[in-house]
Amino acid sequence: MRCWRKRHEGLDLEAELRAGRSEPAPEFINRLEARVRHNGRSRAGSLRVAFVGALTAVMLIALASVGGVGYASSAARDAAVSVKRVVAPKDVITVLKRGSALDQYGKPKAKKVKKAKKGKGKKGVTKARKRPPFTG
Amino acid sequence: MLRRDPLADLEPLIRRVYAYVAYRMGDGPDAEDVTSETFERALRYRKSYDPRKGEPVAWLLGIAKRCIDGGWPDRDLAAEVADSADSTDLEDETVRKLTVARAVATLDARDRELIALRYGSDLTARQIAEVLGARTNAIEVALHRALGRLRDVLGEEEDVEPVRKRGASR
Repeated sequence: MRCWRKRHEGLDLEAELRAGRSEPAPEFINRLEARVRHNGRSRAGSLRVAFVGALTAVMLIALASVGGVGYASSAARDAAVSVKRVVAPKDVITVLKRGSALDQYGKPKAKKVKKAKKGKGKKGVTKARKRPPFTG
Repeated sequence: MLRRDPLADLEPLIRRVYAYVAYRMGDGPDAEDVTSETFERALRYRKSYDPRKGEPVAWLLGIAKRCIDGGWPDRDLAAEVADSADSTDLEDETVRKLTVARAVATLDARDRELIALRYGSDLTARQIAEVLGARTNAIEVALHRALGRLRDVLGEEEDVEPVRKRGASR
């Protein structure tokens, strides 16, 4: 044993051990790398989808508990009406013009405003209608 | 806090885990199986990796160690290495490697493990201490002793000619 040591003083056993380490086949490295990457990605993707789904459910439950769903739907309806009013204003006006009074009495005539005569009274002021005298 | 992905740089990790496994079990399909199993487990438990506790390679080697200790049956590594060294027309370098491998295979499991972690996976004594749950100076002493035993085995080997040749040429 001592002889061996003496003979091999120059031998670096640690370097031999490092040099003697086994290397995996390149095909094995490629195959394993691809599999790990693929599995890692699909796991991360499914986790992400599950997280988004859970978050949506929680938000819906929270909203429903305070009547937020009804509020949101009515808001959406109002928004739709507003959009409709902007996009198709004619229809909206037609709807507004219709009414029972209009059907019964027809379209009201425009009131004529009498012009004040020149020199009498204040300019541009119309005479107030006379009311019956106050009798107490 | 953002977590570092322990499997971000795969190729060097695969090489180091494989080298460790091969030192423990011998080169070949079994070593490939254990390496694959290690990475499968690492993927499954990648959330449990804590960068404060050590480098990804140390974490992976801990998994590989558990794979070997828990599932794979012990093989007669010394006999396998001896069988493969029987061929006479091997080149010097190959013979030298086989001689060292045969000597490593005759060591006990603890020494082999230390050598696998230190020279197979290039871990420092501190990293080995993290993997094995021991103190750094205890690992340094154990490694020193393991190398001493390996030198003894190599000294007892009858077939040390290739190693001797290389030693003389230096």
